[in-house]
Amino acid sequence: MTTAAAPPILSLVLLAPLVSAPGLALAPGGLSPVWLRRLSLAVLTVQLLLMVAVLFRFDPSSGRMQLLEQVPWLGALGLDYRLGVDGLSLPLLLINGTLSLVAVAISPLTTPRPRSYFALLLLISGAVNGAFLAQNLLLFFLFYELELIPLWLLIAIWGGAGRAYAATKFLIFTAVSGVLILVGFLGLALATGSLDFSLNPALSQQLGLGTQLFLMGALLVGFGIKIPLFPFHSWLPDAHTEASTPISVLLAGVLLKLGTYGLLRFCLSLFPQAWAVLAPGLAGWAAVSVLFGSLAAIAQTDMKRMVAYSSVGHMGYVLLAAAAATPISLLGSLLQMLAHGLISGLMFLLVGVIYQTTGTRDLTILRGLLNPQRGLPLTGGLMILAAMASAGIPGMAGFVAELMVFRGSLLTFPLATLLSMVGSGLTAVYFLLLVNRAFFGRLATEPGGKPPALLPLAGFVQQVPAVVLAAVVVVMGLWPQGLANLAVASTSALGQPTGGPLADIAMAGTGQPPASGLLLEETAHGGR
Amino acid sequence: MVDDRFSDPLSPLLQRLLGGVPLLEESPTHVLEVVGVLESYGEVLDAYSRNLIYQGEQQFLNPFPVFRFFNGEFSLGRLWRHLNHDRINFEYAEYCQKAMLWHGTGGLDAFLESGRFTGICQQVAHLKQRHDPLLGLLSALFPRFLPELIRSAATTHALGQFWRVMSDLFLGLARAHREGRITSIASVVEFVKQGLVAAAGLPIRYAVQLHGGTVAILPEDAKLTFLTDVAVPYVEAVFLRGMPFLGTLSFNAQATQIPHDQGQFGYGALFADPLPTMGAGIPPSLLMQDMYRHLPRALEDVYRSQGRGVVDIHVKICMSFQKAMFCVTNGAINGTMPYPLDDPDPHHRSANRNHCMAWLERLRQARLAALEARGPETIRTPGHR
Repeated sequence: MTTAAAPPILSLVLLAPLVSAPGLALAPGGLSPVWLRRLSLAVLTVQLLLMVAVLFRFDPSSGRMQLLEQVPWLGALGLDYRLGVDGLSLPLLLINGTLSLVAVAISPLTTPRPRSYFALLLLISGAVNGAFLAQNLLLFFLFYELELIPLWLLIAIWGGAGRAYAATKFLIFTAVSGVLILVGFLGLALATGSLDFSLNPALSQQLGLGTQLFLMGALLVGFGIKIPLFPFHSWLPDAHTEASTPISVLLAGVLLKLGTYGLLRFCLSLFPQAWAVLAPGLAGWAAVSVLFGSLAAIAQTDMKRMVAYSSVGHMGYVLLAAAAATPISLLGSLLQMLAHGLISGLMFLLVGVIYQTTGTRDLTILRGLLNPQRGLPLTGGLMILAAMASAGIPGMAGFVAELMVFRGSLLTFPLATLLSMVGSGLTAVYFLLLVNRAFFGRLATEPGGKPPALLPLAGFVQQVPAVVLAAVVVVMGLWPQGLANLAVASTSALGQPTGGPLADIAMAGTGQPPASGLLLEETAHGGR
Repeated sequence: MVDDRFSDPLSPLLQRLLGGVPLLEESPTHVLEVVGVLESYGEVLDAYSRNLIYQGEQQFLNPFPVFRFFNGEFSLGRLWRHLNHDRINFEYAEYCQKAMLWHGTGGLDAFLESGRFTGICQQVAHLKQRHDPLLGLLSALFPRFLPELIRSAATTHALGQFWRVMSDLFLGLARAHREGRITSIASVVEFVKQGLVAAAGLPIRYAVQLHGGTVAILPEDAKLTFLTDVAVPYVEAVFLRGMPFLGTLSFNAQATQIPHDQGQFGYGALFADPLPTMGAGIPPSLLMQDMYRHLPRALEDVYRSQGRGVVDIHVKICMSFQKAMFCVTNGAINGTMPYPLDDPDPHHRSANRNHCMAWLERLRQARLAALEARGPETIRTPGHR
């Protein structure tokens, strides 16, 4: 039974790809790859339009769950079909809709077994929707696990030469992640005796601190693997290296965000007391992750691995902001998730174009790709834009996000924030290395001074998705208020102290203006 | 010096020159490229030549030659096309003129350095001072200012005369090709050589009208001639030496990135990187844009069918242009050969050999890869699906 009077729009968002996926896989007749892609694009366009409809029905002034839909399902198991959306999940839902569409749009028609491929892409998109919308712990877990299977298959079947190793590693790491999360959820239910697995922050208050720390620790490591944070990151560079471009776009842009979303939604919300105790350690962990990710990225010569390690670093900012748990930092953490999703998605997309065109991602080989006539000037230009955005240059999404993270965390954890700022500087180092090596200089020539080799042309149509993502990165940088206004009530509610030491942490930044006010002030004064 | 040993890359080229074989390898594509690109070059040189001669005669000592590219035919339509860049890049002609002025070799430069020329400059200054107070003042304050302007004007006009001949020669080559008289690279080189030799003795002269009188800046009795006084200095300045092109690549003289000895410069057309970035010497963009406007249909069709089609057509034109310029250089080397190649006298053969070796030494760092008959191939690596 649906509690909302209006049509169950969240269920429609969820079911559009989930129902279409088996439909696509089992549809009779010999559908050509062109039609398979068109049908997938149609489904995902409908999904995105439904998300936009959700956006219009969403009340940004409320920090509570909205548009709730509930259907009793397996009550005896505590598994109810409960969906809802708030300012934290709605932007992530939108980015999933956008990047899923991009991933399908850039999937080559020469992909083998296209029917299964596109069906799995739809399945991933639906599962991620479910995870972001679920208001029941077991339902979240179900979708969290459901997303792993198609992703594993997409790496294992459609990946590069080392796909077997990468896919297995991914499976082992994320399976452990899933087990730990399940342990956390089941432990919470058993310890509190509340077997309805509802998302209730008050539950943990009846538990001792030790139990809270144990349960939250399990969730932390579980989500830390997914994010990934140092030292649980090693599956990510391998998975990215072997995954095809569309899968890398989804992996970096959306799937990693399930980890950070879980961090905020479950660790911070369900265990505020334990979170407050561990917060200084989490901030330190964040700084280590940022610095490790950045330094490791500097050492890479494979473009994909470099972008992958940069993800490890940039996800550290989200942990730092979550640890500080101030209204500003929590808004910053969400903006960082979105900014990273867009920027890393864009980067993987561009690396894909380079790989497809030149046949290599090796920075010791690539040179002079900005050459206007024989190189990849549009790809190069967009890569420079993406590098600037990732390094936090004002006017682009990365700047707003990082500013909010650092501003919100500085007073609470000054040392960790300063170290993370160093990581932000290092971002400029490794991406400038990438841009300088691959795009500047003279276009690579064959050995012996022979005439320059001809690269195949990357057509404009092929690059439209990258142009769109780049435009969104700039729009978000120039007009962050749109997203901030959407999310600020919810992210502030996440950080609301429910008692205990969290109150001390949340209030450590006393005198700080509300998050939305600060954002307006910062943008009005050019970020000074 | 060129080493006859097998390892020296110039050794096969020396053998080709002494054997009367063209430097550029024979291939039907080479013939199409060279003849086609020289035809478009001939059309462009025609425009350059007319403008340089116009500048030399009608814009002489004009302190503000704002409309010098209009050839005296100013209209709003032409102004719009000029500003909209729907025009020939006359700037490239000026660039070549400056290269010739600065490098200054051969008989023209010797005359411009002579006392006779100083006297002509004084005559011009005297005439101008009476009618042009600004130039009079500048000339009095900076005595070397006016002679420098007149030198520049003389080089401009001389280059205009040179390109007039070359334009006719290249358009004649295209005509001969259409008539079936040109079928190989060897015949192209021979045609160019014959053209240069035929024009060798043409006088180079330049006179301007000043306030009702005529002043000969390059008088006929200075006996400046086409081949030795302008053509060879042109090849030296534009094909070989050139200049680091401003805006394309910065060279730092203090860091000795530019040779102290002008003779060691290697920024000319034969050394230029055909890719439009990081290339020394001539910028492909300006001249190649101009040649693209006049490209013969057959050659354009070939370019369109290769690689990226028109996207990198300027690079393709530049690569063909370098092949063509090697042919012209080849014609100049053959045309200035001291003795016939079949001369049995050992001293004469030795003189021929030294002549060729001196040229080839200059080409050691040139884009010799352009001489091969094979073209660039599209990269195909395991990453391609």
